[in-house]
Amino acid sequence: MKLTVNGTEHEVDVEPEMPLLWVLRDELDIKGPKYGCGIAQCGACTVHVDGMAVRSCQLPVGDLEGEVTTIEGLGTPESLHAVQAAWVAHQVAQCGYCQSGQIMQAAALLDLNPAPSDEEIDAVMSGNLCRCGTYPRIRAAIHDAAQKLSEA
Amino acid sequence: MQKSVVILAAVSIAGAALAEGALTLPEEGSISRADGQAAFERIYEVVIHPRCANCHVGEDNIPMWSGPSYGEARPHGMHINAGESRIGAEFLPCQTCHVTSDDFDTAPHAAPRFGIAWQLAPVEFEWFGKSRAEICAQLKDPERNGGRDWRELVEHLEHDASLNGPVAWGWSPGGDREPAPRTLEEHVEDMALWGAAGQPCPAE
Ligand code: FES
Ligand code: FES
Repeated sequence: MKLTVNGTEHEVDVEPEMPLLWVLRDELDIKGPKYGCGIAQCGACTVHVDGMAVRSCQLPVGDLEGEVTTIEGLGTPESLHAVQAAWVAHQVAQCGYCQSGQIMQAAALLDLNPAPSDEEIDAVMSGNLCRCGTYPRIRAAIHDAAQKLSEA
Repeated sequence: MQKSVVILAAVSIAGAALAEGALTLPEEGSISRADGQAAFERIYEVVIHPRCANCHVGEDNIPMWSGPSYGEARPHGMHINAGESRIGAEFLPCQTCHVTSDDFDTAPHAAPRFGIAWQLAPVEFEWFGKSRAEICAQLKDPERNGGRDWRELVEHLEHDASLNGPVAWGWSPGGDREPAPRTLEEHVEDMALWGAAGQPCPAE
């Protein structure tokens, strides 16, 4: 089957039940999305499908409809996405394992809600766990990115 | 009595095929009040079952986690709130985790899924924690049931099931989730029996 990831079309020979996360990591060698739980409990595998945040461990690739964006396709080192830039400015990451998922979820949040309150950030981001407890910095960075995006 | 047995057989066959509009409905008034009340009792057991009621919640828009694996009923984890949109548009879309798929086979603690967009039922269809009398009054009130008479309630069940929506999923929820009581076909049949009996409601 064919799928488009970060603007590139790929052909993969896999069972339709295979979760998108497996296809990305094991077939396409796109390792930004992380495996944390495989059961929608952690958010480490979050990618975008046509701009909406999706837990890629939950989506059978045969049910994929739309283009996939992973952290590799969100911004580039020369031109970071506002969320990535805010993450660097606030030094959000600690061990980093959850952060690809956090950033993809935060970018999707700002797409739907350009100026989220603390409560709204908590409501959206609570599905993305961070063992290192970087939540206060995540919140601050999201507010910062929202501000930058509104000025852009 | 004999008549209702014949009708039951006809309804069962149509229900099993789950083809839309294929159901031969019993005639209005052909089912006794007692049989209608018994059918409602079975409908009630279905709609208050966790597979159904967990997402038929009130205006706080917070789905519930309840059922044998949970012990005490509790709000959905992860601080989930589906918003007034009932699809999570204001916060986290339900579909971020509950993807759309006709393959109901998910791991026990994974996010269950079905063939249409995962969402809460409209707020007027609140069942969680509601009594027999309350649910019965809601089910037969066109103002609060999507404008449906009893025949259209039957059609609604068949239509949703034909899309592999929640009505189909409730009886094959995947993982180790407990299915709703009895079968989908019996539930459709009960909706028809209750309707043909004039949708009698319990006093309490
Ligand atoms: S790996 Fe997908 S949510 Fe944890
Ligand atoms: S930074 Fe370590 S898990 Fe989030």
